[in-house]
Amino acid sequence: MNKQNQSPLPPAWADRLLTWFCPSYLLEELVGDLHEQFDLHVEEVGEKKARQLYIQEVIKFCRPYFLKRRVSTLTKPSASVSSPTSHRYRYPQHELRSTFFLSPDMLRNYIKIALRNLWKSKGYAAINVVGLSVAFVVCIFLFLRSYLHLTFDDFHQDDDRIFQTYFFSNDPEKALRSGNMALPLAPALKADYPELEAVARILTGRKSLVEVKGKYFDKLVLQTDQDFLKIFSFPLIKGNREVALRNLSSAVISETMAKTAFGAEDPIGKTLLIGSDSNKKQYIITGIISDAPYNSTIQYDALVRIENSYAYQHDKDNWSANSHTVFIKLPPHVDQATFENRLKPFAQKYFKGRLDDLKKKGAKPDQRGDLFAVRIQKLSDVHFDRDIAGGGGTPIAIVYTLMGIAFFILLIACINFINLSIARSFTRAREVGVRKALGALKNQLFVQIWGESTLICLVGFSVGVLLTYLLLPLFNATFDGRLQFDQMLQPGFIGVMLGVFVVVTFVAGGYPAWQMAKFNAVEVLKGKLSIKRPGAIRNSLIVTQFVMSSLLACCTIIASQQLNFLRTRPVGFQKEQVISIPVGNQVNGRQVLGRLRNALANDPSVLAITGTSVNLGRGKDHVSSRSTVGYTYKGKNVSSDLLLIDFDYLKTLSIKPIAGRDFNRAYATDSVKRVIITASMAKMMGESNPVGMLLGDDADSSNTKSQIIGVVPDFHLYSLADEAKPITLYLSHNEPIRYIFVRVTPQSLSGTMDKLKQVWKEVAPQSEFIGTFLDENVDAWYQNEEQLSRICSLASSIAILLSCLGLFAVAMMIIEQRTKEIGIRKVMGASIASIIVTLSQSFVKLVLIALIIALPLAWFLMKTWLDNYLEHISISIWVFAGVGLAAVLVALATVSFQTVKAALVNPVKSLRSE
Amino acid sequence: MGRAYLGEFEELVLLTVAVLEGGAYGVTIAAELKQRTDRTISLSGVHIALYRLEEKGFVRSELGGATASRGGRRKRLFVITTLGKRTLGEMREVRNQLWDSIPNPHLIVSYE
Repeated sequence: MNKQNQSPLPPAWADRLLTWFCPSYLLEELVGDLHEQFDLHVEEVGEKKARQLYIQEVIKFCRPYFLKRRVSTLTKPSASVSSPTSHRYRYPQHELRSTFFLSPDMLRNYIKIALRNLWKSKGYAAINVVGLSVAFVVCIFLFLRSYLHLTFDDFHQDDDRIFQTYFFSNDPEKALRSGNMALPLAPALKADYPELEAVARILTGRKSLVEVKGKYFDKLVLQTDQDFLKIFSFPLIKGNREVALRNLSSAVISETMAKTAFGAEDPIGKTLLIGSDSNKKQYIITGIISDAPYNSTIQYDALVRIENSYAYQHDKDNWSANSHTVFIKLPPHVDQATFENRLKPFAQKYFKGRLDDLKKKGAKPDQRGDLFAVRIQKLSDVHFDRDIAGGGGTPIAIVYTLMGIAFFILLIACINFINLSIARSFTRAREVGVRKALGALKNQLFVQIWGESTLICLVGFSVGVLLTYLLLPLFNATFDGRLQFDQMLQPGFIGVMLGVFVVVTFVAGGYPAWQMAKFNAVEVLKGKLSIKRPGAIRNSLIVTQFVMSSLLACCTIIASQQLNFLRTRPVGFQKEQVISIPVGNQVNGRQVLGRLRNALANDPSVLAITGTSVNLGRGKDHVSSRSTVGYTYKGKNVSSDLLLIDFDYLKTLSIKPIAGRDFNRAYATDSVKRVIITASMAKMMGESNPVGMLLGDDADSSNTKSQIIGVVPDFHLYSLADEAKPITLYLSHNEPIRYIFVRVTPQSLSGTMDKLKQVWKEVAPQSEFIGTFLDENVDAWYQNEEQLSRICSLASSIAILLSCLGLFAVAMMIIEQRTKEIGIRKVMGASIASIIVTLSQSFVKLVLIALIIALPLAWFLMKTWLDNYLEHISISIWVFAGVGLAAVLVALATVSFQTVKAALVNPVKSLRSE
Repeated sequence: MGRAYLGEFEELVLLTVAVLEGGAYGVTIAAELKQRTDRTISLSGVHIALYRLEEKGFVRSELGGATASRGGRRKRLFVITTLGKRTLGEMREVRNQLWDSIPNPHLIVSYE
């Protein structure tokens, strides 16, 4: 013995591993051989290396040859001895065997028991499957939506080095950020910071008319710089990345556009015409770029050089006409903060006017010491930044809200599952006891019971995935989602969902299984266990459920109240009874407007007709474009939105001038250098009566000034979320009219739409009529909020429904267990009413506790949220009262199904059962 | 082929069993093979080959010869059977015939 202790021994765990998977009749010779070889190795290469080799050797023993034999010795000991085909089994096998808990016989038993149990308790199983699958469906939708948002723009190579520039100005009223840049900025950046790898301007906007061999298409043409292809790694299918946009007349078109416009032909070297009327220009196709993915901020059908843009020559040295976004690519070793610091002198050098202006206003530098600065935002964050993404972004808070809701619903379903499993576990206590008495180990029982719950989870999950697949079109239609099933098949998303599934099985199945495996066999078989019930855990889980659902309900109600409030706020113009018709690129808007005026001149149902460059709200063409203008007035820089209108604009929209007058056909000069401004513009200029004043246009080299002929109240031109910004309205006979507004009499709303459609066919046969009512357009401004509120309402109703489902099942079970008690109470003379009260009491108590927790929490959360809005509603106490009352009533109604039934049972029946 | 299939490694193991004559068991076979072929030989592979050979009837075995370094465990000693010897002989015959049929055998041999 002594000698053995001294000589080195191989790692014991490796031997145990071997014992576990090697057939026992081979163990002696194999371990013997291994040990002998180990001894030899120790002499040859030393103990350390020998141990390594030993472990390697043991691991090599884990192969099907041995494993198969191991399993078969465990399962079929007797059959193997007599088997004539196998010589192996003539080796003696006289050892005791413990039951291998994954052996086919045991598995068959588990499955049989599981199915019997499920069958016996169909109701609970159904509740579990329904609850879980609904929760999974909600989860998949919400996670998918959030996943798409979170992975926005992350497909570019070096996407951590791509940034968008924005202006920051610490205005004394409110710090402002804006992503719109002026044309000379990008060249100046490139000249002053030669270390930048690439700088590209991107001028997007409305769709342009594209003509290919006599065919016309409406396409989104992006006007940009050569560096576009250097910054973004949209793959170029044909053409050379370096030279594709080198010439001013080069165009790179998207794959889809190549297919639609050229079919099977090779478009490289072919020409196309972009633009309408006088702005038409010919381009030569030099490349095909693959389509931008759905989760790209930058979308395009074609790329051309920005120098071709309409206002380029006019504005190329104008630092105050902000029209486009600028993207830069930093060199590898420079981080955001460093470069922003380097940009400080840039702002001093080029934006002296803005700085002086801000100082005059009394602006103070922010904590980074900037009054006005050019800063940069990471491309991957641009999508979440509404200020600089031009209103198109999605605030990250929404994404987190969605994920939070998904998590809540999943948790509620899990709680149902746990509660039901624990409650059910008492009916199965005997089985556990018997199994334990027959030698089942704790972990064997755990695996068995947990496996059963995993089975239910799996069914729920599969049903959930199936439902998702079926409901996807409906979901997309209702929530304007662009979700596709194959987006779900991305490895990242599959990983997330599998993770969710595993966590759910562990949380929902693991805890009850652990509880059950812990049962004491002796007590269970004596029948003692039913006395102590884990009421505390079950009750706290029910409370948690109701906290979450009433929280969701309160928040949803308050959020939709706020939304409604925002929507019904006055927009500054009368949006009812106005039809807005996008003209389209195929026809000349001004001519169509003229023809329409003639055609409808004598129609009594038409009150006014006008044209403009910007639609109000969002119409069916889904286009929004914005142009701004900068003026200098008494040394002050005044910037405002620029809006082209036609005669009768104010009349059509029922905007009453505060001072001055509307444009009038009687004044021939109205179409030249005459403007109408909004009240906030006047305030910005610091004039109480600006009518007749002259505004200097920085951009204009001829330096003629525009005269103000009228002031109108502020109205919302782009979105209601923004505060009303200053607007300059002007009239021009040369610039294109893009939208036609028609005010009709209230008596003939729907009839007029049809009539207009007829007339439209005559005046603009080439263009499709896609007119909409202006109030619908304005509603579309709230699409995001609208969708969010719809998702929230749906989610909170599902949450409440699931909670009730759980409560229903728990009530059913508890009352089942109390059948005898109820019988005795009745025999002793309790009335039906008093029994119902007794039974319901305990549940109502739980809901009340939940409300006490949830309502203050909801109040606090919603107050914080509402504070983000400049104008917001005050939270009404009735919301909470209503939700509370509803919760109690719903819970009562759910429970009373069972209580009434139980109370009505004849005690003879319930007491006779044993 | 009329007889049971014999893989390359199995053939080597069978030959080694014949070479070791009575002293053939896992460790010695592995050591012998390692020394002669200069490949890495795993015990598990040798054992599986031995068991397969036994199932095919090319070797037979018995337990015996426990030593201290084996922790008192017995070893399984393998002996080649007549069938095994005959099979090896047949295989050698086939190979010899094939070698004899090569037109320029020195061209191949010189590569070694």
